[in-house]
Amino acid sequence: SCERRPRALPEASQPSAERSIALAPAACAPLPGGSTRRCRRVIRYGACLYPAGTSASHWEFEVLPCDSESAFGQIFSPSLEQSFLPEFISGDFDSIRPEVREYYTIKGCEIISTPDQDHTDFTKCLDVLQKKIEEKDLQVDVIVTLGGLAGRFDQIMASVSTLFQVTRITPLPIIIMQEESLIYLLQPGKHKLHVDTGMEGDWCGLIPVGQPCSQVTTTGLKWNLTNHMLSFGTLVSTSNTYDGSGIVTVETDHPLLWTMAIKN
Amino acid sequence: MEHAFTPLEPLLPTGNLKYCLVILNQPLDKYFHHLWSKALLRACADGGANRLYDITEGKRERYAFLEPASATPLILLFRLFYSLLSKCFLPEFISGDFDSIRPEVREYYTIKGCEIISTPDQDHTDFTKCLDVLQKKIEEKDLQVDVIVTLGGLAGRFDQIMASVSTLFQVTRITPLPIIIMQEESLIYLLQPGKHKLHVDTGMEGDWCGLIPVGQPCSQVTTTGLKWNLTNHMLSFGTLVSTSNTYDGSGIVTVETDHPLLWTMAIKN
Repeated sequence: SCERRPRALPEASQPSAERSIALAPAACAPLPGGSTRRCRRVIRYGACLYPAGTSASHWEFEVLPCDSESAFGQIFSPSLEQSFLPEFISGDFDSIRPEVREYYTIKGCEIISTPDQDHTDFTKCLDVLQKKIEEKDLQVDVIVTLGGLAGRFDQIMASVSTLFQVTRITPLPIIIMQEESLIYLLQPGKHKLHVDTGMEGDWCGLIPVGQPCSQVTTTGLKWNLTNHMLSFGTLVSTSNTYDGSGIVTVETDHPLLWTMAIKN
Repeated sequence: MEHAFTPLEPLLPTGNLKYCLVILNQPLDKYFHHLWSKALLRACADGGANRLYDITEGKRERYAFLEPASATPLILLFRLFYSLLSKCFLPEFISGDFDSIRPEVREYYTIKGCEIISTPDQDHTDFTKCLDVLQKKIEEKDLQVDVIVTLGGLAGRFDQIMASVSTLFQVTRITPLPIIIMQEESLIYLLQPGKHKLHVDTGMEGDWCGLIPVGQPCSQVTTTGLKWNLTNHMLSFGTLVSTSNTYDGSGIVTVETDHPLLWTMAIKN
């Protein structure tokens, strides 16, 4: 796997040996010191569905504060706060309803056909998104995805699979959230997860989805690991929880899926 | 040696398939009633008892046919016949660490004579421990069983979904019987290394299927019977995972794999 250096983080705050990230719906909260995290919302399959279970105020919180000079700000400027028009909708369009497609076309949203059957709509959407981020020269910290963790089992696995493939598409971290669950793929190396936003639920876990992780070491969990093997067939960490310190560190030799509860 | 298997056989209205039923803590689907009625042995894992209790409101017991009491003898006889066949919804046992089962549910099934088995071991899930108890019961009773059918486990908390999959890997140490897990429109079944022949012509199959290399890469996978087949292909997270696949119409899917490979398929609505 490639070394990932997110462009967004200022050099001074980029940890030398660790990736440091706050994973929570409140990922857009201002950082200590005043710098502002900005994030871009990617809706599953690119269709701008009003996210199930997300209130309008939650949406607004996610887009504020924004740099008004960015293209992101232009879309979600105060006058259009209540407007829920996506930048684009991409896919092979076998799911979008005709009247929905027509509506967003009329409203000026870009409709991008990605017919390639070797990749999911999600993967292809991230590809388009990354190109847009580069075109617009946006500073982005994370890509938040809604959906993908429920329904058809093969589609749940396809969502997880996309997290493995996305390193070839974008250097940005991708989180997937649905209902009370969040997943995030930890690449080999050391990670420091801030779990003290107050939005964390009770449980968390480490899932060696793609291959055994023979050397996993953690701190901050109720049941920590020290150079332990995680693999389907020996040990998978589920129904774990926190030790109250507000920080979880994970060191892994292979990609390892972090999953956690979002508070109700 | 090829292992032949018909994943959706338990859903067939007729047949002699001998299976046990395990109920996990997820909403029960409409095929629950059919699966319950033909099972040899039925068990709940912890909160699965809540689900059973709620869905069988008013008809849990063998003598529920007596209610309402105002009925002619003929009607009572009919109900008795029907209830003896299928309307008794008391599990053989309920096992778990009991952090999910509601107190009134636990009390109800205790009074009704269901075995309540505490399995407090925190190193294994309620599901895994329930299968352990189930296997012991199958041996004690010397039952001939073809498959263990599990309801639930494929929705809700993401870590619990992964725990269900993890159990499929561990269960080979517990029982030699195949285990399938079903919830809503999805079924999963773990294919051990070797050759497998899956009969997918019961008429209960939905549109999609997939092969998911959970746990480790499968470097040599060969299939027939799928719309997109593989020939000595590598499946792994990061290279290729087969999802949204479908059938070629032959009614049979064969899979050869060098490592455990998760088969998943749609159940028709």
